[in-house]
Formats: sequence, C-alpha cells, structure tokens
Amino acid sequence: MSGPEPAWPLPAVAVPTPAVPRLDVRPLAGRTGFRAAGEVSLPTRGIWECALERAVREGEDVYHLELSALTFVDVAGVGALAQAARSLGGGRRLVLDRPPDTVPRMLDLLWPGLPGIEVVPS
Amino acid sequence: MTTPAGPQDPFVHPALFYADAEEYLAGTVPFVRAALAADEPVAVAVPGENLRLIQDELGADGAAVRFLDMREAGRNPGRIIPGVLRAFADAQPPGRRVRIIGEPIWAGRSPAEYPACAQHEALINAAFRGREVTILCPYDTARLDERALADAHATHPVVIPAGPGAERASAAYDPDGVVARYNEPLPPAPASGTGPDVLGVAFDEDSLSAVRHMATDHGARLGLSGLALENLALITAELTTNSVIHGGGTGVLTVWPEDGYVLCEVRDKGRLTDPLAGRRPASRDQRGGRGLLLVNLLADLVRTHSAAEGTTIRCYLGR
Repeated sequence: MSGPEPAWPLPAVAVPTPAVPRLDVRPLAGRTGFRAAGEVSLPTRGIWECALERAVREGEDVYHLELSALTFVDVAGVGALAQAARSLGGGRRLVLDRPPDTVPRMLDLLWPGLPGIEVVPS
Repeated sequence: MTTPAGPQDPFVHPALFYADAEEYLAGTVPFVRAALAADEPVAVAVPGENLRLIQDELGADGAAVRFLDMREAGRNPGRIIPGVLRAFADAQPPGRRVRIIGEPIWAGRSPAEYPACAQHEALINAAFRGREVTILCPYDTARLDERALADAHATHPVVIPAGPGAERASAAYDPDGVVARYNEPLPPAPASGTGPDVLGVAFDEDSLSAVRHMATDHGARLGLSGLALENLALITAELTTNSVIHGGGTGVLTVWPEDGYVLCEVRDKGRLTDPLAGRRPASRDQRGGRGLLLVNLLADLVRTHSAAEGTTIRCYLGR
C-alpha cells in the first residue's frame, strides 16, 4: 500500500450551507393514520418517532402511513418503523402506502420476516 | 447439546491448502459428504469455477447442499460473516454441527481488497467462538502470493497442508495480530480542489442533509444511477451520522472515482474499538446499531483505518 494519510484535517474542503431538513406529519382524512412529507434523518428523528409512538398508542387494527412524499429515510428511521410494528401485537399492523423504494429494501435486509408491517408499493 | 469439557472451542476453522483441482476435490468433497452422511447442514461458498468443480463431483448428492458463488455473495469481505456464514449457520436448527466451506481469498483479489479479506478471515474466529460450527477455508497455493499463504497460517488455528499431509495446529495462529496489522493507513484520498471529479466537504450535525445531497449529486455526475445511487445516499447518511453521534461531532466526506468505482469516504476523530462492528447479523430484538451492517451489505468493498487520531471508512460502489 502507499504512504500514510495526510495529517488531520484535510485542506481545502468545502463547507456546505446548512439546510434544515423538514418532516411534516399530518393526520389522514377518512382513515386512521398519518401522511409524512420530507425526510427522516438524524435532525427529524424525534418527530418521526413521536408520530410512530402515537400510532402504536391509538390502538386501531390497521394504521395507514402515507409515505409517498418522503424523500429519504435512514436506517434508524426504518428501525423505528420496525420497532413500532413489533410493539403493535395482536394482529394489528402498519400499512406503508407508497414508501420510498429503499424502505422495503432495508426491511428485507435488516428485519426479514417482520410481522405487523405491510407495504403497498407505488 | 454437550458442553465441551475444558478450554476446547467447539468452533473449528481449518485452512486447506491445495495446488490443483485434484487436491481441491480431495480436501472439500469428503468434507461435504461427511456432513451429508451425518445429516448436518452444509453450505459451500467458493468462487464460481471451484463451485462447479464441487457440484460436478457431488452430482445428485449436491441437492441438499447450499451453494453460493463467493465472488458475488462475498465480493465485499465485510459482508461475508453477517450475509453468508452467520446467515446460513443461524438459520439451522440447534443441536447439529453446521459445516461451511468458505473461500474468500482468490488470486484475483485486488490490493485494495486484500487487507479486508485477511481481517475477515481473522475475525471469523471471534464471530463464531463457542459455536458448533466448522468453516473450512481453501487456499490456492499455486496462484496466491506468499503473503496470503503466510497470513492463512495466522488466521486459522488449524492448517491442512497440500497433498497427503495431516491436519495440524498452526504455530503461527494470531488472529488479533492480523486484524491489527491490516488496520493500516489508507492511501490518501485526493484533496478537494484537485479536479472536478473530487468532492471534499466538511460536515457537522447541521449539514448532514446538505452533504448527503451533495454526495448523491456528485455520484450521479460520476455515473451512478438507480440502486447504486440510492446506496450512496444510504451509506453517506450512515457514515456521516455515525461521525456526528460517535465520532466527535464532525467529519470530512470525500467522493471520487477510482478504478471503475465511485469511492465514498468519511473521516472523523472518533475511534472504532469493536472489530466486529457491522459484521454481526441484526437480531430481531435489537433496535439500533445496524448502520455499519447496512454499509457492509450495500458496498462492494469497505476499508477501515482506526487509530488514536481518528477513523477513516472508505466504501467502493460499482458503477
């Protein structure tokens, strides 16, 4: 292998303008659940986890999550979904309506065979 | 299940040295047949051409064997323990020894891949300690270089010499030494500003989302699309978020093209102290800690260097 790494820090790196990511969560009209728009990442994780905890508390048999306006979900965000699905129990389930493609991929890779979650693809 | 008396580890991890197809079959096929005769689950994960040798020799008996082309399933060595070896072993009913032939090192492994391969072989010992599992690792003495053959004696507690020689304990066994030795500084990433192909950007908690977008925009310019671009977004998010939470709060992301791959590297001031991080399969009940596992499952190669001054994780994504 070649020589050692340069000393910390690397010179001449760009510093991006901070852009505050958003996550808006609103109740659905006509059925139990919420619609989420924006991204699920570290800065918005709290909003996402609160919305899912509410879903678990509400006690409906089927809880709809309309996710077609999500632009990104990280592993922790999918983990919170898996955790919520696991806490439902008793035949209850979360229905993910049109989530980003990466969400069912991560569920298959990291939480295979998880009950309590159903994906309606776009 | 019986508990072995004394310090004997039920995990068995021999290196099998072979010089030609005849020696390869003599060392592998009886291993598979013994497992089948004992009704023990058996998997063979070796490069495609060797897979076909074993399949042809087993014929119809191969129906009960799980076959995997290691060039595909194990392209990223960091994926082999969670995605191949434990994925198979953990899915078997308890009470029976599980047998696997795993050949992660072949002559075509690149200089960038090799250190990750050697570390993988060494870490198998810690990952399977105490398990009723046997993993037999063939090494091609005709085509592998001396370093790879010498390392095999350090990563395997038992060696089976080529030809008619008998199995023996390896005097050179030192898996921790191999993990430490290949925890080597990576060749430097190109400095930002050295060309339009190089994106270098510092980040902190407030810019996580912005740098992820910069990385994917840059990846698209370098020719990534579809799944590969989604993978770049996920990998960037996991590595930069880890830096913010565990790595001192800030870091530097670099994305650039090299040898037909897009490379994505994150450096921070944290220290990775668990060599098995990202190599344990996710347990159903565990909530967090899957970020590095996902990175290992998605990337074509992951190289890591961690020392007192900080940690560098470099991922290779095929275009």
